[in-house]
Amino acid sequence: MSGDHLARTDATALFHELTRSNLPATRRWYLVVGLLALVVLWGLGCFVYMMKAGMGVTGLNRPVMWGVFIATFVFWIGLSHSGTLISAILRLTNATWRAPILRGAEAMTAFTLMVGGLFPLIHIGRNWRFYYMIPYPNSRELWPNLRSPLMWDAVAINTYLLGSLTFLYFGMIPDLAIARDHATGWRKRFYTVLALGFRGTHNEWRRYHVASTIFAILIIPVAVSVHSIVGWDFAMAKVPGWHSTIFAPYFVTGAIFSGIAGVVLVMAALRKAFRLEKTLTTVQFENLGKLLCMMSLLWGYFYFAEFLTVWYNRNPEEWEVFRSYGGHYLPLWLSMFVCNFAIPFPMLCMRRVRRSIPALCTASFLVVVGMYAERILIVVPSLARRNDPFIWNNYFPTWVELSILASAVAMFLLLYIVFAKLFPIVAVSDVQERLFQATDRAVGGTTVESLARPEAHGEGGRG
Amino acid sequence: MKHKWAMAIDLDRCTGCGACVAACVAENNIPTAGEAEVEKGRSMQWIRVARYWDGEYPEANAVYLPVPCMQCERAPCETVCPVYATYHNEDGLNAMVYNRCVGTRYCANNCPYSVRVFNWRDHAWEKPLDEQLSPDLSVRSRGVMEKCTFCIQRIRRAREQAAAEVRPIRDGEVVPACVQTCPPGALLFGDLDDPHSEIARKLKDPRRFRLMEHLGTEPRVVYLKRQKGAGL
Amino acid sequence: MSDGVVVGLFESVEKAALGGDALRALPLPEERITSISSFPLPDGAVSRDTRPIRFPRVTLLGWFLGALAGLALALATYLLYPLITGGKTIISVPPTLIVTYEVAMLGALIGTVAAGFREMGLFRFRRKLVHDPRIQEGKILVCAAVAPGDQARRAIDALSAAGGIDVRFEEGEV
Repeated sequence: MSGDHLARTDATALFHELTRSNLPATRRWYLVVGLLALVVLWGLGCFVYMMKAGMGVTGLNRPVMWGVFIATFVFWIGLSHSGTLISAILRLTNATWRAPILRGAEAMTAFTLMVGGLFPLIHIGRNWRFYYMIPYPNSRELWPNLRSPLMWDAVAINTYLLGSLTFLYFGMIPDLAIARDHATGWRKRFYTVLALGFRGTHNEWRRYHVASTIFAILIIPVAVSVHSIVGWDFAMAKVPGWHSTIFAPYFVTGAIFSGIAGVVLVMAALRKAFRLEKTLTTVQFENLGKLLCMMSLLWGYFYFAEFLTVWYNRNPEEWEVFRSYGGHYLPLWLSMFVCNFAIPFPMLCMRRVRRSIPALCTASFLVVVGMYAERILIVVPSLARRNDPFIWNNYFPTWVELSILASAVAMFLLLYIVFAKLFPIVAVSDVQERLFQATDRAVGGTTVESLARPEAHGEGGRG
Repeated sequence: MKHKWAMAIDLDRCTGCGACVAACVAENNIPTAGEAEVEKGRSMQWIRVARYWDGEYPEANAVYLPVPCMQCERAPCETVCPVYATYHNEDGLNAMVYNRCVGTRYCANNCPYSVRVFNWRDHAWEKPLDEQLSPDLSVRSRGVMEKCTFCIQRIRRAREQAAAEVRPIRDGEVVPACVQTCPPGALLFGDLDDPHSEIARKLKDPRRFRLMEHLGTEPRVVYLKRQKGAGL
Repeated sequence: MSDGVVVGLFESVEKAALGGDALRALPLPEERITSISSFPLPDGAVSRDTRPIRFPRVTLLGWFLGALAGLALALATYLLYPLITGGKTIISVPPTLIVTYEVAMLGALIGTVAAGFREMGLFRFRRKLVHDPRIQEGKILVCAAVAPGDQARRAIDALSAAGGIDVRFEEGEV
């Protein structure tokens, strides 16, 4: 009788426990989905109104030509670094606790990218002519200008979106096969088609592992480059406070920071909604909490480094922007500092906080709020207090912008909830693999969990 | 034939009257945004007369600075437009192509002089004001950037005229609306490639400076420093 | 009659390994023996993977093709539509590098997934593939690709003797 943990688990029961989200939809599910769909439709209506009436219905003006739409765009793309970190980096470093959160994090990446990618289309003045930015043969005899950071954005986000969707789907194939074998009715046909005939032969598993590893290796530089390029939207400009070389790594750090916080929140919600307490244990959350603590420190370091450089130099154009952080934008700046660093960092240093899911969720929620404030602080004050003081102006979003922002959140939740209903939200095959590798080993007078590592012998890798 | 159009603004002469602004609005089909919109920072004027206060009340002096589009030789607005809606033409002007603009507003963000203006709405000219619209240029739709063009329609007219008469453009033949209207004659326009033009001679003045020169945009609008009282 | 597969269900990895050994003792070459399981088994636990994994090369090929495409996109745009912007040269190196890099990564990703699909033998909807849903209960299916008749009978005997449940000959492929 093998002593591995999978042998003493009822695989069918485990499957049903992990895929509770795939049970047929209840009234409550339809109600939630309906409400979210309503919010999305409201936002869509506001967008159409904005398209017909002109951007004047927003709070934008000269010189603040970019406002919450761009800040929110950066925010959503930042959140997308969640899945890449969890899936790719943890996969490559062979972190053993990653299995239950893989799928949820990868799905979060895919959907935050989809939502974030809408904002460049929303914020432009002539949305119906967005296709001018696509290089295709046309009678206008013009292609887009690839020297513009916005076009780098387009190419990078396109690559990242296709990459993470592929990553998500590819990683799901074994789970879809498992779901197919358990399913009946229309679901069986659905999963049969999607599983592409995966059965679990030895050869399939080995090649699947190689492909997943290669994916993980590839998606990390893509993610880093994507948020660097988003940062370069600002850094390439001649705007005081934007034109800084630190923006690329600063943005990537901030993205990973907000991404981890997002994963914590999404995982906590999944755990609650689908009663996954046995799978999403305090181990996962404590480790995420440690990562969050480290990222809070790293973010604080980058922010201080940027602040120090500008403060020491007191270059008048940049200093006026920074002065406004202590003036008109003080509430926003304090929110950012308190929510990103002052509260979360000391909190997360405490083991008690990291092991308590409500406390960790509070810290993560603060981080999400703080990072959003940080995005607004990057976009708005630099424009509002730029070179010529004669045209300085403030900015506040209108109900149109706020509606569209709310509908973006609703759209993400809607996509995620529908995804969780149709697809396995926990990577069942990864959990099974982890259980199979785990045995109990008696060491002296105690028993510890021991993990088999086939990769150590060059297995699970290239043949 | 190529030209190097430039503008000289003599701050000794500028009184801040704003006639240039009114002329530009009349010439270039610029809509009137209205008081509410201007309060929000959405005036549509292509040239602005910026006013700075020098000193404290009661010894405060107003310093006026007319700011048209600088037509920078290294225009930061041109590189960041994702659709090539703004580029540098052969005359060294920063050309704006309304039809191509999708309204990302990156060019406006990248202009350190903030001379670019965005159409936040569709504009209407109530009768009979629509009869004042110039047929030489378009009325821009919502969602499109616009800015001072050195009255390119007048440059084109002069060029066509000169080509028809088979002669070069004479100095003083092309006069943008603001230059034409300025009562104290603070604005001057001409071709720097012509060594005998008035502007080429005027810009030998040691008072000359360019706005925000340290940014390396190499503007074609040159200012002549105010000599009365505290200089700029 | 076409080749088929002898399959037998085993309760655990250890028992499945015995089944694999029994097949190898027939003798049956390693490339005809494999396992089907709902979780990945280490190489050699029940069967060994004999085909070398080559598709990292496709990743590289995809990267280069993507880089070429990205370079073409950037350069073609600059050369076909030579507009002066910002006083800069018509062809700029850094933006070209950025676009080239991104499309290269896209090429690598797509190449990897395409090669992965092919190597894993997915998309073979038309073929009859051997499978047993009971592996989802944690059981392991040991398979031997054999010719029908005598070879199949011996394989069935070997697997049954090793403790296999529901050992049978099935038409199809592994």
